[in-house]
Amino acid sequence: MTKLIKLENVAIGYDNQTFVDSINLSIESNQFWGVLGPNGSGKTTLLKTVLSLIPPLKGQALIQNELVFGYVPQNEKFDPIFPISVYELVLMGRYSRVKPASRLSRVDKEVVEKSIEYAGISHLRDRTFRSLSGGEKQRSLLARSIAGEPDLLVLDEPTASVDMKGELEIMQLVKEIQSQRKLAVIMVSHFINTISEYSDHIILIDKDSNFFEAGEKNKILDKEDLGKFFGLNLNLN
Amino acid sequence: MEILSEFINSYFLWRDPMIVAAFTGAICGFLGVYVVLRRIIFVSATLTQISSFGVALSFYLEGIGLAVFSSLIGPFALSLILTMIAAGFYALKRDFSRISREGVIAFGFLAASGGVIILGDRIASGVHDIATILFGSAVVVDPIDVYLIPGIAVLVFIIHLLFYKDFIFVSFDTESARLFKYPVRRLNTLLLITVALVVAVATRAMGALPVFALLALPPLASLYITENLKLVFLLSVIFGILSAVLGYFFSFVLSMPTGASIAVTASAFFIIALIWREIKQ
Repeated sequence: MTKLIKLENVAIGYDNQTFVDSINLSIESNQFWGVLGPNGSGKTTLLKTVLSLIPPLKGQALIQNELVFGYVPQNEKFDPIFPISVYELVLMGRYSRVKPASRLSRVDKEVVEKSIEYAGISHLRDRTFRSLSGGEKQRSLLARSIAGEPDLLVLDEPTASVDMKGELEIMQLVKEIQSQRKLAVIMVSHFINTISEYSDHIILIDKDSNFFEAGEKNKILDKEDLGKFFGLNLNLN
Repeated sequence: MEILSEFINSYFLWRDPMIVAAFTGAICGFLGVYVVLRRIIFVSATLTQISSFGVALSFYLEGIGLAVFSSLIGPFALSLILTMIAAGFYALKRDFSRISREGVIAFGFLAASGGVIILGDRIASGVHDIATILFGSAVVVDPIDVYLIPGIAVLVFIIHLLFYKDFIFVSFDTESARLFKYPVRRLNTLLLITVALVVAVATRAMGALPVFALLALPPLASLYITENLKLVFLLSVIFGILSAVLGYFFSFVLSMPTGASIAVTASAFFIIALIWREIKQ
């Protein structure tokens, strides 16, 4: 397995305010990482540090040369004033491989069409992104993320605004993408069951108690420790 | 009919201002789509006022005997420099601790508006000139504008054609653009500089009010009519041209202030689009 990202003794936070420090993490290809933590625990800040969108306050973030990210942000972050079609949205995913002021080639457009088809949203191709349901938006964002043929897929609460059926469909699609393309996935979710079902590695993070733990699922998902972490009596069967 | 034939016979009077108005309408309509989508309508209003201030300041410097300075930095250059500085400031400085961005935009608008009126009171040719700067003139345009404005409009169109995908990308999803190593800050600055350039030349030629109206209203009308982004740009250019040309026409034949006439014509397109949308729904 190829090492994609290594965080060495990293502190994460904003404006010199440390959320969590002493983070050590190594992400390799074909791994599925789930990130768990309460609201405001620093999950998204961790993702943004991994994505190099914000620099670590301390330590080193080593990223493999020319690593291509696929990113599925929370869908409500997009301003609905933009009449962007699903096709135009998915095209943007391909920009990771197209330089500024350059045009997309015929091959790029073929990859985009295939990504739309793969995500099962061909019927939504010409609809505006803003007019879609929560589940349709997530599928479109997944199509966008795979259009860039990424090495690492980063998902920020991809099932937050969908119902149970939609959640299942989206997670199956994510798992299919990961296993077929052998790429690494990091996914933030509030749903412990979702994380425990689909991921093989887990990160627990909590800003308030400066807590960070990462490792293989079986080692992390100790019911007692996890219960203490969330302050709940958990049943993860 | 009589009015129309009189208008046609006065061709030599309105030809140049009409060319300037049409190109201003087209390029403002186009850039206005970004202005509206990025929710910076009031940045564009502020830029038009700052541009007006630059023109007024140039007249003032000439009036107080600094003609040498004024000939080196004429109304266009001074207006352009101030508008560019303001555009650069608004593009690069996005976070203002404790106060909102709108507050700083309002500060720019109010300071420049007040400055224009104070300087207007002191420049030799007085109130009439300042009214022209703010609201536009129906009578004449500087002969150089007949070449300058179409030239700048074409240059800006070419820049936007080249960077279309990038400008849309950084406007819609800044975070992914950063992730894909796009030069977000430089693209945002270039985008706002093209707006500032057009605002500076167009405000000096036509006045602040019509330029602001042409930046805001044609794209708003287009966004009501279609959900296709490329069509929004096209319709906005068409509405911009029609608003400017028809506004000028009404101003000429009905002896109305030009800037106000263009603003009202652009508003009419907005109302028609609103009604269209309501009927369609």
